[in-house]
Amino acid sequence: MIQFKNVSMSYDNVTHALRNVNLTINSGEFVFVVGPSGAGKSTLIKLLLKEIEPTEGKLYVNNVDLSGIKPKEIPFYRRGIGVVFQDFRLLPDRTVYENVAFAMEIVEATRKEIRRQVPAILGMVGLSSKANSYPNQISGGEQQRTALARTLVNNPSILIADEPTGNLDIRTAREIMKIINLIHRRGTTVIMATHARDIVDSMQKRVVTFDKGCIVSDEEKGEYSFED
Amino acid sequence: MKIRTWRLMAGQGFRNVFRNRIMSLASISAIAAALFVLGLVLAMVLNFNNIISGLESKVEITVFLKDNVQSHEIEAMSRQLNDWEGIKEWKFVSRDEALENWREEWGEQKYLLDGYTAENNPLPDSFHITVENPDYVTEMVEKLRKLTKVEVVQYSKDVVDTITRIANATRILGLAVVVILIIMAMIIIHNTIRISVYSRRREINIMKYIGATDWYIRWPFIMEGISLGIMGAVIAGSLTAGIYYLLVQQLAESPMEGNILSLLQLLPLESIIYQIVGLFLLVGSVVGVIASVLSIRKHLRV
Repeated sequence: MIQFKNVSMSYDNVTHALRNVNLTINSGEFVFVVGPSGAGKSTLIKLLLKEIEPTEGKLYVNNVDLSGIKPKEIPFYRRGIGVVFQDFRLLPDRTVYENVAFAMEIVEATRKEIRRQVPAILGMVGLSSKANSYPNQISGGEQQRTALARTLVNNPSILIADEPTGNLDIRTAREIMKIINLIHRRGTTVIMATHARDIVDSMQKRVVTFDKGCIVSDEEKGEYSFED
Repeated sequence: MKIRTWRLMAGQGFRNVFRNRIMSLASISAIAAALFVLGLVLAMVLNFNNIISGLESKVEITVFLKDNVQSHEIEAMSRQLNDWEGIKEWKFVSRDEALENWREEWGEQKYLLDGYTAENNPLPDSFHITVENPDYVTEMVEKLRKLTKVEVVQYSKDVVDTITRIANATRILGLAVVVILIIMAMIIIHNTIRISVYSRRREINIMKYIGATDWYIRWPFIMEGISLGIMGAVIAGSLTAGIYYLLVQQLAESPMEGNILSLLQLLPLESIIYQIVGLFLLVGSVVGVIASVLSIRKHLRV
């Protein structure tokens, strides 16, 4: 469960990126976070990844108060959270396989575990045939699938997707959404910030709309409810 | 961390050296230059020390006795010297013998000494003592000076002192230069690591999101620093060994024999190169570690 309790965030003490946000996301939920640029979506994600600290309020993830996590413990906290971005963020000098294995090397998995798990996950996202390709040799959709595979190897309880389809055409975007949905169905909580109206409207999931740092609507089976 | 992880990081650090060729080359040259100078200083100081200990082992102590010494007192002293430890050999030279030696030394000019006879001989009786171990010399000299019939104790400390002074000056001056060069090498390595960090900032960012610990991110850069230091040490070591070897060869072939240059009997390469290369590797890697740690602390925000 993720809880924002009266969270405010200000980078410069003048303007507020988030204002008094109260939001609860249950385990296993799928939530779209929408809103115009500068509404506070990125700030929300940065707070969840403990890249920044809220100026006010408390943030709990799986009943842990994030303000109580020491800097040294942040990497271990982040291992429980998978994150994908609009620009994929793959290592350009490593193959698809190596990019995924890399996430396991970091947590010091054994070679045996890596050899067993990486191919299985590449199979799950449909990339078995591209295992030895480098990121610049594959399409954007395939790159995003690699990024998703990378988050999956460590079995995160939460998946944060920051505009995961922003660089993709509509058909590829739908394929990516299928995989994200698949991950969701495995029990992973999914928080996805997006500008993709058609995806939000067609998926019939909870939609939290931000504007100027405030939650302006929060609907089950919601729709993309503002004009860009 | 697991051994496998250490291997991965060492490999990563080593690869970084080649990724960042120009700066790596600058770093390696700088550290090699600093270590090479260190090697020269070390080779000189080791040779000076060798010369000093050679001289010290040959040190002969001369004990001049007071004028009014009786023969039974000389016998008593002789017995005493026989009892003392650390004396290799000793010889008594009477004042008459001393005068005779003097005359011989002066050769053709010995007529100048004709005025001296057994009655007005200005020379004192003396003991000439050779010690077993140069370490005993100072102690022995102190002991001899305390004897009542002893007037003056002399030993050829002057040469040893002079060479010691030269050796110390070389050490101080040389090490000052080495320190400056090492600081310069550190600055260059520091910069190299900074560039390496900068060129891998995307990767570092990704690693942070995946949950890499700070040290997991830092170690490859430290390994890079160590690699630079060790490569510099290897180059400096080869250079020092090569030049020293040529120098030894040159001196061995030169026709100067039996003169002052026999002092310049250089130590054989094998007897000093292991110490020097060992020190190079140690200094090289320590410099690499310090420079990269400083760079990481300043430029790698993890």
